[in-house]
Amino acid sequence: MYRTVVNRILLSGGSRRLPRYPDIRTIISSSRFSTTAQPQTVLNPSGSSTSSSSSTSFRTSSAAGDVPRHERNNPRAEYEGEQARVLQASLRHVIRLGWSEEAMIAGAKEVGISPSIVGSFPRKEAALVEFFMDDCLQRLIDRIDSGEELQNLTPSQCIYKLVRIRLEMQAPYISKWPQALSIQAHPLNVSTSFKQRAMLIDEIWHAAGDETSDLDWYVKRTVLGGIYSTTEIYMLTDSSPEFRDTWLFLDNRVKDAFDLKKMIQEAKYLAEAVGAGMGSSLQGFVGRVLQR
Amino acid sequence: MALRLLTRNLRNRISPNLCSASLLHSHATSFGFKEVREEEKSQMVGKVFSNVASNYDLMNDFMSAGLHRLWKDRLVSKLTPFPGMKHLDVAGGTGDVAFRILESINSIRRRALQDPINDDLQEETRIYVCDINQNMLNVGKNRALERGLGEDKSLVWVQGDAEALSFEDNSMDGYTIAFGIRNVTHIEKVLTEAYRVLKRGGRFLCLELSHVEIPVFKELYDLYSFSVIPRLGEVVAGDRESYQYLVESIRRFPPQEKFASMIADAGFQKVEYENLVGGVVAIHSGLKI
Repeated sequence: MYRTVVNRILLSGGSRRLPRYPDIRTIISSSRFSTTAQPQTVLNPSGSSTSSSSSTSFRTSSAAGDVPRHERNNPRAEYEGEQARVLQASLRHVIRLGWSEEAMIAGAKEVGISPSIVGSFPRKEAALVEFFMDDCLQRLIDRIDSGEELQNLTPSQCIYKLVRIRLEMQAPYISKWPQALSIQAHPLNVSTSFKQRAMLIDEIWHAAGDETSDLDWYVKRTVLGGIYSTTEIYMLTDSSPEFRDTWLFLDNRVKDAFDLKKMIQEAKYLAEAVGAGMGSSLQGFVGRVLQR
Repeated sequence: MALRLLTRNLRNRISPNLCSASLLHSHATSFGFKEVREEEKSQMVGKVFSNVASNYDLMNDFMSAGLHRLWKDRLVSKLTPFPGMKHLDVAGGTGDVAFRILESINSIRRRALQDPINDDLQEETRIYVCDINQNMLNVGKNRALERGLGEDKSLVWVQGDAEALSFEDNSMDGYTIAFGIRNVTHIEKVLTEAYRVLKRGGRFLCLELSHVEIPVFKELYDLYSFSVIPRLGEVVAGDRESYQYLVESIRRFPPQEKFASMIADAGFQKVEYENLVGGVVAIHSGLKI
């Protein structure tokens, strides 16, 4: 999460990219977004932030500075580029074949690479889903960076708009989205999908102009995470034209959440009062027991 | 089972001085713990396998307590076969790996029966079993008949040398070599040939007995290898020498990291290896891009 804060500080004005290889969307490996990325970004004032190599894979360089030009000529990173191309092509087959190996095999054939490459993805279907999530996040960031329409909105409107934009990217795949959700919920894949969603929520909050740095930070992320997930699931069963009901649902949830702040405050007072009452009666009870 | 990744993509970084495979460049090579002339090695290996062919599978079961079946299952699951695949199994004499791949593809096909495209693809699947030793191939063909795969035109039995394959460039989706690569005279040639015949996106997988580093287990394993196995060979197959050669050749084979760097040298990317049973067996994999 700190990465995005550092990004904003260092790259004011420039276009911001997620740390990744050349210009090509790459597969997320969870370790690429580890916090060890921080020291490098701080020391690198010139350009886009970089990612450090993961501890398990031995790569001879972690790119710095001019990432696109340097790595594109370099065959070292090639297999990841090819894997990304295969995944990109596979997305077009997902609607017909689901988030499955068959879709990836079809994608590989489309790109002209032997479908054996599918065996080299560590968690096959999960790699495809994670690629898609990463891709959507990048597109969202592009929209945020380019769109001026977010400037004059209140936080709640901004959040509504961003969540809506993000969920609309999933709309074409909605018939197969339950499968993607179940893949993401699989124990092997949970940690990566959790990280991806956390990053997404973080980006949305930053775009909405959030500056908090105390406990509220977690509360806000959790609340927005809840809104996003419930809307996503609502969308699965929505059959209204252009998901009108979903956006209505989203709007209501966002409004509730913003009222929630005051509700939390009142809930705190209530808890204190109850605690005080409970405490004194508990003391009395314990005292009586001990006297016996 | 520990999974370790090694990716080396810059050849400059690998110093040739460190390459213990240079031992194999010289005109002498190793046959177990003996040093023999290169020309002789393949003959001697040929003799070994002609001797063991008929009892090969039985001895495998004895020596590994049946585990070799699981290891081969793991190898095939890492491969992820698909209908229409062209696969080459080298040194696959008795057909264990090839049968597993075929069965895996057929089961996928049954699941995807709704998709008419796959039916046509199924016809195109070809698994080539290549072995230098005709006796081993004959045993394999008989086993295929027993399993009811005798008429299956997906299986093709080819006699050939792993160092000089008769297949065309960029023609194979997958290449496997199970328990075969420690018997070759020139490992680098085999790796280069593997790289040549694979298509872009094709995968190289090697299942081989490898080095154990875990302290106590290593001693137990050495004891088992040098005391039990030749004796077992003597009793079951009537051939102590061949099994003595077997355990010696395992020790002479490069360790996991070294072998992985040799694979990377041949041009493969994303070179990884996975240790099974603490290093008794290792599956190395590489991707051709």
